[in-house]
Amino acid sequence: MKTQIRSRKDRECYPFILPAFIYLLVVVGYPIVYNFVLSFKNTNVKNLASGSSVFIGFQNYKELFTDPTFLLILRNTFIFTIACLAFQFTIGFLFALFFYKKFTFAGPIRGMILVSYMIPMSVTGLLGQNIFLNTGLINDLLSRIGITGPEWLTQTSTALIGVIIMNCWVGIPFNMLLLISGLSNVPQEVYESSSIDGATKVQQFFQITLPLMKDAIFAVLMLGFIYTFRAFDLMYIMTAGGPLNSTDVLATYSYTLSFTQYQFSKGSAVAVVLFLCLLIVGLFYLRLIVKGEEDT
Amino acid sequence: MNKFQYLFHTRSGRKNFWCCVLSVVIAVIFLFPLYWMLQISFKSDMETFGKVLTYFPHQFTIDPWLANLKDKDFIASLKNSFINGFLTMFITLVFGIPAAYGMGRYKPKGFKAFLLVFLVSQMLPASLMLTPMYLTFSKIHLLGTYFAPTIAIAAGSIPFAVITLRPYFKSVPVSLDEAARIDGCGVAKSFFLVMVPAVKTGIVTIVVISFLNGWNDLMFSMTFNVKPEMRPLTANIHKFQSKYGTKWNCIMAYGAILVLPVVIMFIFLQKYIVGGLTAGAVKE
Repeated sequence: MKTQIRSRKDRECYPFILPAFIYLLVVVGYPIVYNFVLSFKNTNVKNLASGSSVFIGFQNYKELFTDPTFLLILRNTFIFTIACLAFQFTIGFLFALFFYKKFTFAGPIRGMILVSYMIPMSVTGLLGQNIFLNTGLINDLLSRIGITGPEWLTQTSTALIGVIIMNCWVGIPFNMLLLISGLSNVPQEVYESSSIDGATKVQQFFQITLPLMKDAIFAVLMLGFIYTFRAFDLMYIMTAGGPLNSTDVLATYSYTLSFTQYQFSKGSAVAVVLFLCLLIVGLFYLRLIVKGEEDT
Repeated sequence: MNKFQYLFHTRSGRKNFWCCVLSVVIAVIFLFPLYWMLQISFKSDMETFGKVLTYFPHQFTIDPWLANLKDKDFIASLKNSFINGFLTMFITLVFGIPAAYGMGRYKPKGFKAFLLVFLVSQMLPASLMLTPMYLTFSKIHLLGTYFAPTIAIAAGSIPFAVITLRPYFKSVPVSLDEAARIDGCGVAKSFFLVMVPAVKTGIVTIVVISFLNGWNDLMFSMTFNVKPEMRPLTANIHKFQSKYGTKWNCIMAYGAILVLPVVIMFIFLQKYIVGGLTAGAVKE
């Protein structure tokens, strides 16, 4: 009897959930399927109007993986993502540990630092263009300590470094924020009892804080990977993928193929590669969240 | 002991003082790029082109800001940015709030599937939707309307709204809901009159974040708004850069105007934003 009432009551919720659910199926689900289909065809601007594109199997993928430019771009994407993750996680963690302390300015300044995360990524790119100019802020600061800075964004060996630095500027507050919330879930009593036992701060960090924050750290790294791996705005504005594709990543390359060369199918194939890389990491993340959902 | 003595003469006071000093140093270094943008935007052309790099405007002028604000194309782009922001916000609220309520108060059949769809669509790369959506929108003649980009942007903020608001709805006491029902409210009435007002705080977060999603968007607006006069500020950056050449004072003023609403919202609504970002990104 009780379950009957409950299931009748539960039916009330469909009018609330279904509109959003259908919206996402149509606006997100359908394009994904379409994108996969497209990647096995030869659709371009010429045969789009006539509708005479045909299925060509894995041809697009074969071409991509034998194309040195694509392989360079794949490499760039991984270097960019891993370098960003390493720096923004480390610095973000240090910031989190510091701003988790209770002092008068902790709250307000923690909030101020978040501004770099909130502003449009395209403005971050614009700013990056300026400070990495040959005569810009970075090289001016370097020259004050006697170093002649390189022409950051106009040579292939340094352009990606500039982009990585700007992305970390955005990623650090994000990591800090999530890690602070992870820190606040560590029960305070554990520290108290361990300091009675004579544990030092460093010991406490490695033996208590890190193990207890395992889930939070895992989540931050995976979310960081997902957000960084799909980066587009920053490169598009700051370097437009140049010089010579040295800052091109999968997202910008997919865009170039589809919307400057109008090879829609090839652009879709690159997007599929991007998606599959994210999927591997995403599945781990989803498992973590859904597991947490079952616990509550 | 007065406040000053407390600051310097106790151990915790000294520690507090030095932490504050260090935090200010961190903030100054970390936010220096924003100051840099602002100070260049107040420089004269002559100083911008000067041989010596100056760290603050020696000839202070608001001309670079005026150069932007007097430009008809700029004003049109600014208007488009606001339209993008408000339209994204509107779509997000209409679809997101009810879904968050349904997901927070009930555990229907297929709950896990719903949750999965919301979680996954929040993580998907925009690149994956770009080409197919472009082709679809061009078929149904939606390209070059304000709806094309905002429909796509909202697909990212609706799941955010659901995931962020759900715990708020969960925490509203059941008795509140039940009391409304006993008083003769239907499901819809109790949703609008009781539940929505009870989660005001969470809704402010959604309002701010979804507006910013629309305001900050580059990829969808640039691709789907084929005509430059329909594009928001973010998507016209390169166009204005080629117009201004190396007049960095004007370019930085452009950037500063683009950042301004974000900073203003941040100053007044900080607690909503910070809380929301944390809740939306990690499991509750």
